Amino acid sequence: MLKKLTYITLFALTMTSCSDTLDEINKNPNATETPLAPYLLTGSLKQGADLYWGSDNNFNSSLLFVQHWAKIQYTEPDRYDVSNTSFTSLWNTGYATLITDLNTIINFPADQANTNYKGIALTLRSWTFLLLTDAYGSIPYKEAGQKVTPAYNTQKEVYTGLLEDLKQAQSLLGTTNGSVTGDLVYKGDITKWKKLVNSLRLRIALRISDKEPALAKQAAIDATSDAAGVLSSNNDTFKFTYTSSPQQNPASAWFETRDDFRISKTLVDKLTDLADPRLPIYAQLPSDATVGKYVGGANGLSNSDANSQGFAKTSKPGTYFLTSSSPAVIASYSETLFNLAEAVARGYISGNAEQLYNDAITASFNQFGITNAATISTYLNQASVKYDASNYAKSIGTQKWIAFYGQGLDAFTEWRRLDYPVLTAGPATVLDGQIPSRFFYPGTEQSLNGVSYKAAIAAQGKDLLTTKLWFDAK
Amino acid sequence: MKKKLNIYTCLCILLISIGIKAQETKPLIQSKLEGTVIDAVTKEPIIGASVNIKGTTHGVLTDFDGKFFFQTGQKFPYTLVVSFLGYKKAETVVNENAVVISLTQEQNQLSEVVVTALGISKEKKSLGYTTQSLKNKELVDTKETNFLNNLTGKLAGVRITNSQGDMGSSRIIIRGETSIAGNNQPLFVVDGVPVDNSQLGSVGGATRDFKNAIADLNPQDIESLTVLKGPNAAALYGSRAAHGVVLITTKSGKSQKGLGISFSTGITLSQVTTLPRFQNTFGQGSNGKFSFVDGKGGGINDGVDESWGPKMDGRLIPQFYSNGEAVPFVAHPDNVKDFFNTGLTYDNSVSVAKSDDKSDFRLGVNNQKQLGTVPNSEVNKTNFSINSNYQINKSIKVGVTGNYITTNAPALPGGPSGNRAAGVMLQFLWFGRQVDINQLKDNRNVNWNNSYYSNPYWNAYYNTTSQQRNRIIGDIHLDAKITEDLNFRFRTGIDYYNDRRKYKIKYGTNGTPYGSYAEDAYTVSEQNTEGIFTYTKKLNDDFSLDALGGFNIRNHSDANNYQKAPRLAVPDLYTLTNSRDPLTSSNIYSRLRVYSAYASAQLGYKNYAYLNLTARNDWSSTLPSSNRSYFYPSVNGSLILSEALNLKSNTLDFLKVRGGWSEVGNDADPYQLSTVYNFQTAFDGNPIQTSSQKKLNENLKPETTRSTEVGLEASFWKNRLHFDVAYYNTNSFDQILEIKTTASSGYNSQLINAGKINNHGIEVQLDGNPIQTENFKWNVGVNYSRNISEVKILDYDKQIQNYTIGSSGGVDVLASVGQAYGALYGTAYLRDANGNIVVGANGLPKADPQKKVLGHYTPDYLAGVTNTLTYKNLELSVLVDASVGGELFSGTNRTGNYTGVLAQTLPGRDAANGGLNYYINGSTKTLLPSGTAPNGATVYDDGMIFKGVYADGTPNTQVISAQEYYKASYNISEAYIYSSTFVKLREVKLTYNFDKKFARKIGFDGASITAAGRNLFFIYKDVPNIDPETAFNTGNAQGLESLALPTTRNFSLNLNLKF
Repeated sequence: MLKKLTYITLFALTMTSCSDTLDEINKNPNATETPLAPYLLTGSLKQGADLYWGSDNNFNSSLLFVQHWAKIQYTEPDRYDVSNTSFTSLWNTGYATLITDLNTIINFPADQANTNYKGIALTLRSWTFLLLTDAYGSIPYKEAGQKVTPAYNTQKEVYTGLLEDLKQAQSLLGTTNGSVTGDLVYKGDITKWKKLVNSLRLRIALRISDKEPALAKQAAIDATSDAAGVLSSNNDTFKFTYTSSPQQNPASAWFETRDDFRISKTLVDKLTDLADPRLPIYAQLPSDATVGKYVGGANGLSNSDANSQGFAKTSKPGTYFLTSSSPAVIASYSETLFNLAEAVARGYISGNAEQLYNDAITASFNQFGITNAATISTYLNQASVKYDASNYAKSIGTQKWIAFYGQGLDAFTEWRRLDYPVLTAGPATVLDGQIPSRFFYPGTEQSLNGVSYKAAIAAQGKDLLTTKLWFDAK
Repeated sequence: MKKKLNIYTCLCILLISIGIKAQETKPLIQSKLEGTVIDAVTKEPIIGASVNIKGTTHGVLTDFDGKFFFQTGQKFPYTLVVSFLGYKKAETVVNENAVVISLTQEQNQLSEVVVTALGISKEKKSLGYTTQSLKNKELVDTKETNFLNNLTGKLAGVRITNSQGDMGSSRIIIRGETSIAGNNQPLFVVDGVPVDNSQLGSVGGATRDFKNAIADLNPQDIESLTVLKGPNAAALYGSRAAHGVVLITTKSGKSQKGLGISFSTGITLSQVTTLPRFQNTFGQGSNGKFSFVDGKGGGINDGVDESWGPKMDGRLIPQFYSNGEAVPFVAHPDNVKDFFNTGLTYDNSVSVAKSDDKSDFRLGVNNQKQLGTVPNSEVNKTNFSINSNYQINKSIKVGVTGNYITTNAPALPGGPSGNRAAGVMLQFLWFGRQVDINQLKDNRNVNWNNSYYSNPYWNAYYNTTSQQRNRIIGDIHLDAKITEDLNFRFRTGIDYYNDRRKYKIKYGTNGTPYGSYAEDAYTVSEQNTEGIFTYTKKLNDDFSLDALGGFNIRNHSDANNYQKAPRLAVPDLYTLTNSRDPLTSSNIYSRLRVYSAYASAQLGYKNYAYLNLTARNDWSSTLPSSNRSYFYPSVNGSLILSEALNLKSNTLDFLKVRGGWSEVGNDADPYQLSTVYNFQTAFDGNPIQTSSQKKLNENLKPETTRSTEVGLEASFWKNRLHFDVAYYNTNSFDQILEIKTTASSGYNSQLINAGKINNHGIEVQLDGNPIQTENFKWNVGVNYSRNISEVKILDYDKQIQNYTIGSSGGVDVLASVGQAYGALYGTAYLRDANGNIVVGANGLPKADPQKKVLGHYTPDYLAGVTNTLTYKNLELSVLVDASVGGELFSGTNRTGNYTGVLAQTLPGRDAANGGLNYYINGSTKTLLPSGTAPNGATVYDDGMIFKGVYADGTPNTQVISAQEYYKASYNISEAYIYSSTFVKLREVKLTYNFDKKFARKIGFDGASITAAGRNLFFIYKDVPNIDPETAFNTGNAQGLESLALPTTRNFSLNLNLKF
């Protein structure tokens, strides 16, 4: 009897001695510890596009601030009645998804990712940092991803650091450096990536132009004199093209279930004034056929006033933007041309500013499918459109604002920098007549990275929507 | 039937008698004796009492009538020794006359036996810690579909938070939250088998709140439930002891002499309580305007799902059911209440039990059908149980227990993500107060609003969440007597279940135009195998030893498989292939194994001093091999002063002091050692990988909890008053925390091994019988507990001040250094130096950019008072319980203020409600104390002024509309923080126990009937419109209420019959 019991006990106890089995048991069967560069790249492009084109950072915030869209219901964000929990996704996804995944590629040993992967990753990481600093101001940059509580860097440090990063990205990229898969945007065409790098360098050069003109000039020269060139046609435009549900355009997905946005009255009025042929693309006719014309929704109204404009009597954004396969444009040929025009106007590089300006508008028309030369020249020849060399900021600012339709974050940044067009806060807005100049830092920064956060706002100014950022000179 | 039984019983008794008699020498004289054994107080016969002739081995058991009979060679007079469990032994000298022997109930702490860790029974007096038990009766008389709710208010130091609605989870916490981030629910052990109490797939708030798994048990099968409060009592359970253990013993056939059949039937009616108080003056719309065309903006504000519309004074307005015709716009005050049904639960149980000298068994079956308060909601549950033991030979006994539980819920309220397609209260807080719910009931295709919602009946009947769970809990065990002192017990037990949920959203639902279908399947398995040697020896006259040593192997695994067709191809076909889009899917599998070895010893001295030692070592698969093995000891002792110092007097019956110290460990969840990357849905044939955003830790150590407990127990005046007080102090450290980190660190969270939390508190139990006569007894039971927690450290570098436990509606629940556990952290009003709220030029309050701690969810103290009055066969018991202190954030009040549906949004909405007159001058509102407005501008009477000051300190004078006023604080969490203090009339119960003689006359061995009411009403509460007790889920993020289903008030009637 006792013998039997001893056997049972011994049998059970022998099981306890195999430590290896316990290690095997704890091997994670649900996820991998060894990611692959192409899969990370695909993910970064898709998630980057979602971030840039989705509701939180685009149509429920920056696109309202620049009065491209307006809210007809739940108008709180359109009245700037937002809190420090409103702008967390740009921060959280930007850092913990995009920058972390891209750093993984950058830090891969050579046999896991060739230098083209690394160059692309560095380019996309620079673009992400750029979005972050444009929106928030000082951000963790040098210590990002290195420390649990990274210190913030000033905008000047970030922009100049990014110029260096992009220079390095340019040197990593080369048509003979190996092939790249998982690249949903340029399909592995390294020459296009090299152009994008230079266009981003040009973009940053102008960001700092009001503050660091000498550095800006050098950067503009570097960017435009690089052998790879800048984006040179709409085929070069950096855009992420969606397919169909569930991989559909975020704005299209939103409109499937909700109906709280309209095109802004400010934009509709401007396009109407200019007889701009992009209006039927940017907007739909109101669903009530008796209206028969494009009617924008006013920004910054109380919910009741917004409602009373009539859901059926106001224009939704154009179907071009609301179909499931609509692209998320991130860096367009047209923007590069506007940037070249401004670089010329500022005397950084040589060229014909007016011609570049006209080319930029033409590129924008082409981007939206308007190719009729007569239509274009009629438009360009209007006095209200014509390039004004005495006030390039006004001409470029206004037309860039129109061309940026849908690219809320960049439209918001360039509007702050160029100060054109002149926008007025809606009647029910809560910032004493001001329009936001930045995003709030996520509220969690106060609790999770308090020391760094406090140091940052001590230098930059209070963590308010109206605090002007370094690049925003006026 | 009855006759047969009696014959059978007699036969048994006869056989036993013969069996005993067979050993005797042949009698010389035939002496015959008849007798009856009865309870001294109730005069009821005692069945199964053992009657022995003193000085012989001759004994018999009493039958169903308490009668016994001797025919022996023993000469009269001789002495009988009569004993029965729970009664004092009696000796009587008898002659040939029939005799009636009265037994008095034992009320002596000295002999009370309780169940302790590993199911070992011990004398309560020998323990250095508290345990508290509930008997079957306290669980079954009031039928709760989640029996944990029956514990509320009855046990000191145990906090139960009720489910939301009537089909949800209940959270149980013993002595506060000792783990900052981990599961704080106690371990449940049923007949020695650890069982799972997970709440799978619930995220809290307005989402489906699935029942936690322990609710599967049928309270009818539970013999007793013992709570081991914390590590001191539960140290032998090692890793799983830190949060206490609930030991459940199910009924067996052991005490059933002969065949016994029990039958119980009950019916429970439930009605919703604490519905929000709605206003019935203003209807749907905005800015006082409304007219319906298509319900999505085609008319005037008809897409608006708020009640800021016109006055419901009977004015004629086209409405959703009127086809454009203008019809009276009137209030339907009960339009929410009328949506809910009276819930109905039928509960029927039958059990059969029997035992003889070799074997015993009990078979039980229970069926419960619950029709919920939300239309179409339904849960059906059937439990089958078996418990059987067989004595193979003198030294070996084997046994088996088994439960098969099948739950089938065709529709449960609330959807997978609290969305507009299925959230019940969501659509009533975004609502038009004029909506006639009956118009919606009759035709599910019409709706009051087409922008966001579907008809609530459409949601209830078509957008369903169903659940099907099949579960087996059971074990086989063997007990062997190796020598007189040494015993061995071997047990292998399993708890295994499948849980499948199906989420349907119908084609054509607003917000989900193509509908959707998802299947969510869980499989959970918990296996434990243990062997325990026990050694009990009286060493000499003074010392006794009680020791055990054993091992346990635990294997746990769970798997989840989720698949969703995001948009259906054709309506009304709910299959995963009926999809327009690629399916979204995920699957997770996890398992762990723990080996354990343990030992304990109890040394007793002269029955009044005891020393208990325990030790355990675990080896867990979830920790790195270098830290895998961890050891923890405990020591405790008790001293019965009343015996040791001979203090017993007429006043003092019993006095005991006790104390102990223990250390227990805790391992991690599986797969927490290496950082991983996840796959996301591939894009057009391109796989996507991305960071899990969580940095794991290859150097994890086990968590440690150290606890000290001291206590005093006393009884007075012949046990008329019993008193027990305990003080404990628990420090948990090296806690495994997934701390949230700023995303700029590269991860949204990182796993560290650092946190430290202290909990200390006292528990008082009082039990007294102020009146005790032959027919009438009044018993008062009081329990009180207070727990104070403080988060000491989160990381050793002291970089991290806050750990986020959870969030809802902009409020975080934090473990914040230096604060009590569960700080509510959110946006506060901006205030000036004098504490006034600062408003902008527009008259609206401003938010402080710095978030603040706005309260804590943990209560200051809990108390419960039960009064039980017994008159003859009638028993009335009343339980009142209270939870004092603590705060909560109410999403219902926040949303209801925003949408203007709540009665509390009436003040200021028109002149009759104190609104100020104003007119609009350009775009500014200007007060108009009297007269007419310039230029004939419209005068409005819904002006209000927010109480506050401008930045310069001058009082706010800017008038705003009531609509703006009540919306102004939507993003200011502080406005919706309330005290969660409440006092509740928890339970009133009236039981009639039929006189046994009478019962037998009508063919039963026993019968009782109970009428009960539960959650009857609040005697006191602070928060309006909701039940402050509602749990968010069973997790640690409490103090958040987010459009929770109303809780229910239950009335039940139960009949128990025993054949």
